[in-house]
Amino acid sequence: MNLLQSQESSSRRGQSVDEARDLCELVLGLARADQTRVTVNSGWRGFTRTATNRITTAGGSTNTTVRVMSVFGKRVASVTTNNLDRSGLEQAVAESEALARLSPEDPEYLPELGPQEYENVEGYYSRTGGLAPVTRAESMAVALEAARESDTVAAGFMDVRAGAEALATSNGLFGYHPSTGVASTLTVRTPDGQASGWAGDEAADWTSIESERIAADAVRKCLEWRGTTTLDAGEYDVVLEPTAVGMLMRNMRNTFNARTADEGRSYFSRGGGTRLGERVFDSKITIRSDPGARDAETSPFIGDGSPVRPEVWVENGVLKALSYSRSWADRQGVEPRPTPQNLIMAGGDATVEEMIASTARGVLITRFWYIRGLNPRTMSYTGLTRDGTFLIENGRISRPVNNFRFNQSMVSLLQNVEMLGRPTRVAASENSSVSAPIVVPALKIREFNLASVSDAI
Amino acid sequence: MNEEQFRGLLRERGILYPVNHPLRAGIGGIDRREFVKITGAAGAALVVGAGSLGCGPGEPPVSGSGPAPDPAERELALLALDEARSAGASYVDVRVSRHWNESISTREQQITNVSKSDSYGIGVRALVGGSWGFSATRDLSHDAVAAVAREAAAIASANDRVAPNTTTLAPVDPVPDGRWVTPHEIDPFEVSVEEKAELLFRANEAAMGVAGVQFVSSSIGSVKESRLVATSEGSIIQQTSIRINPSMNITAVSSDRSDFQSRGAVAEPAGRGWEYVLGLDFPGNAPRWAEEAVMKLSATPVEAGTWDLILHPSNLWLTIHESIAHPTELDRTLGYEANYAGTSFIFPPEQMLNDLRLGQGLMTFMGNRTEEGGCATIGWDDEGVPATSWPIIEDGIFVNYQTTREQVAWIAEETGVNHSLGCAYGMNWASIPFQRMPNVSLMPAEQDLSEDDVIAATDHGIMVEGRGSYSIDQQRYNFQFAGQVFWEIRDGKKYRMLRDVAYQGRTPEFWNSMSMIGGPSTYYLGATFGDAKGQPGQSNAVSHGCPTALFRDVNILNTA
Repeated sequence: MNLLQSQESSSRRGQSVDEARDLCELVLGLARADQTRVTVNSGWRGFTRTATNRITTAGGSTNTTVRVMSVFGKRVASVTTNNLDRSGLEQAVAESEALARLSPEDPEYLPELGPQEYENVEGYYSRTGGLAPVTRAESMAVALEAARESDTVAAGFMDVRAGAEALATSNGLFGYHPSTGVASTLTVRTPDGQASGWAGDEAADWTSIESERIAADAVRKCLEWRGTTTLDAGEYDVVLEPTAVGMLMRNMRNTFNARTADEGRSYFSRGGGTRLGERVFDSKITIRSDPGARDAETSPFIGDGSPVRPEVWVENGVLKALSYSRSWADRQGVEPRPTPQNLIMAGGDATVEEMIASTARGVLITRFWYIRGLNPRTMSYTGLTRDGTFLIENGRISRPVNNFRFNQSMVSLLQNVEMLGRPTRVAASENSSVSAPIVVPALKIREFNLASVSDAI
Repeated sequence: MNEEQFRGLLRERGILYPVNHPLRAGIGGIDRREFVKITGAAGAALVVGAGSLGCGPGEPPVSGSGPAPDPAERELALLALDEARSAGASYVDVRVSRHWNESISTREQQITNVSKSDSYGIGVRALVGGSWGFSATRDLSHDAVAAVAREAAAIASANDRVAPNTTTLAPVDPVPDGRWVTPHEIDPFEVSVEEKAELLFRANEAAMGVAGVQFVSSSIGSVKESRLVATSEGSIIQQTSIRINPSMNITAVSSDRSDFQSRGAVAEPAGRGWEYVLGLDFPGNAPRWAEEAVMKLSATPVEAGTWDLILHPSNLWLTIHESIAHPTELDRTLGYEANYAGTSFIFPPEQMLNDLRLGQGLMTFMGNRTEEGGCATIGWDDEGVPATSWPIIEDGIFVNYQTTREQVAWIAEETGVNHSLGCAYGMNWASIPFQRMPNVSLMPAEQDLSEDDVIAATDHGIMVEGRGSYSIDQQRYNFQFAGQVFWEIRDGKKYRMLRDVAYQGRTPEFWNSMSMIGGPSTYYLGATFGDAKGQPGQSNAVSHGCPTALFRDVNILNTA
């Protein structure tokens, strides 16, 4: 629980369902194309940033954008504007229709969807939407105080979003989804720059953000990491804290893709088809997505209006599902299934402490940085450890060590899982902005490839 | 080529070298004629209706050339300045900006996306005590603008109460009527979608005509932004930027479908008009790129180990971006980006400036916002500081960070630096301006060495073309970069194509191993629209010019 009482404003951020519906209907009424899709995104983003133990910037912005997609036959184009005057909307519709008439045909285009049944998702938390700048500042001040008391230097970021998206088509579809999100992350360094620690939370609900724990954890990591010693690169057993797991797993959202598999461009390719039904990972691995997951909600529809349902992608190590766009599903004769909008990994009951205790020699990793793909057919990535890396010997943390660059296949990683912790939502994006919810456990992994040493602190 | 000819060539390319070293002359001493020559050359080429260059009685003098500010925007900006000041702000700057984007994407002979967007709004940054506040809205009614101006001041006041900061802005001369437009011949927004699609389809067809090619995608992204900056110190600056991003990616699949290889990153974004895309001749060059994709399928896997490395500018620019341009950002160095992209190995400033050797004498990097075609080229920055050009590394020695007005005070005492180098930028009206990278370019050799000359000097090496996967640590030491096309160089000649290559190194050793660079004929501007920094993250568009360069004894990995 957050101990800070948020000073809330009562007004809801973003358009109400009625406002959104009215705006969509106004635009559809202006449209002259064979088919039209209208997407309205409305909302607010607030942020506060700290560095060198001070608040460096803070602010907020509000915006509403209307995207008009016009279709003549199979000729498609879109125009987005934030000018909501009638003349602005008329101009956007006219321009979109003119562009569509000029555009070559898209043979993969399928007619706009009609009314759909969507999952009932309530992802808007008024405690988040009403968060006042001064509450953000007070929350950040908790970290600044903890840093000053421990003679360390804090740099942090709080990102808050609240708003609504709405979608309508000329075939009668209407969807509306309000949502909030908040991410609070903190890096604490020693004044000489020789040690660094990190902690962070991400949630839809402000009360899930634990300002005091974030401050305490980041300071503790930083202090424990002081006096780093040399450790050679090589293959190690590793204990990955949940954030480290999440930063790797977030890349998986886009790999469950039938088209790249069918076209021979993915690990999930097999001959001219896919590995659906095959055991691809360790039997302890189950990966699903669910728009209604508590405090990790997503929209129950994607941009073309296709419904997002709870899905199981990998169950007990077996590949159970791949995503199909409407056009690829049509071509393959299957039902469309959107890309996972969040990613929820099943866990176990091991604690990080138990994982460490079970490790004869290994490395404890807090989080990663600058992860980039190397080879999609092996799902291999490179990246670096960061903000707290420790050698484990004989079941205990023996000493803080240098950072590493890793070169690692996610296939091998998910085949080499030894222990799993309790899943938790993590701040998995590298820039610490609110992003697609990632819910993952800590993992203990055999033979992780720490390929070269990084001198960075 | 003698030195005078070389300087002349650089000047033609819009690079001021090596004039205006701020540590020696002070940037305030920038020669106004020199500045106008650079930006004025831009004005001469512009197509967008040039505003009145003369000034009537009582009107402030016009600097640069381009359209005058829209009177309604100017009024809103002045209103916001007044409201924020009366709410207690000691300094305010306002941006009223409008951003047009157009994107056309294709695969094979079909359109995958045609879209345009238009975003218009106002952002106000206010300083109260020593603390900043910011607020922005799309609503350009007087009431809404006044409200965000007051809110910016209120947020600043709240921060100043809870956790006070100290901020001092380096002085700058006000520019009461500044105007600038990206030099261009053809506004990309004046070229029809059909014409752009037709060019891409012809290029795709040419690529698909090569046996083994299975997939082709291509796109053209165009950006235009109109930006009015007004400061409480009296600057009013109206600028229009045009940028264009053509791209193509060609994939070949082996006959048994067991392997695929792609050739992408065939062209660079630029701060230029449609004429730039025409000059790239995608349809004419696509077969060559397609053949490279097919050749990669049967290329020899690289043997990991130590090799000499020749980096073509199409690859080298990104290595410069990551390992030279980012670690010389002053805010990053001092911990302001610690919670995101990290800090810098070039720390502490007082021990690094004029002392740290990062390369041999042949290595000079210029920071500039003046280079023609550069994505970060502009007339004035978001704080009204004139665009300029200055050395970041001179003859191998680190001599300057990138700065904004606020940042100068952070190092003034230790270094004597007292003027901003003009690196403030907010990506749109909804984004707070902060320090962003200028174009950071490696100067070519004065001797006119060709690419063949560099290859001839290599016995056991690999030449890399095109940007590939790239990753670097949070202090910019350990990097690992791949590429698009790799050639084994044996005994001074291109021998055969290699695959699965990445080069991995430690920044100071790597740059100190640069032993030969090409001359002006090998100079090329690489660029990205996606230079990410800040929380909330902002994108900056930036270019990096460089010649072909040779690095000795580099660690090569096989990434298969």
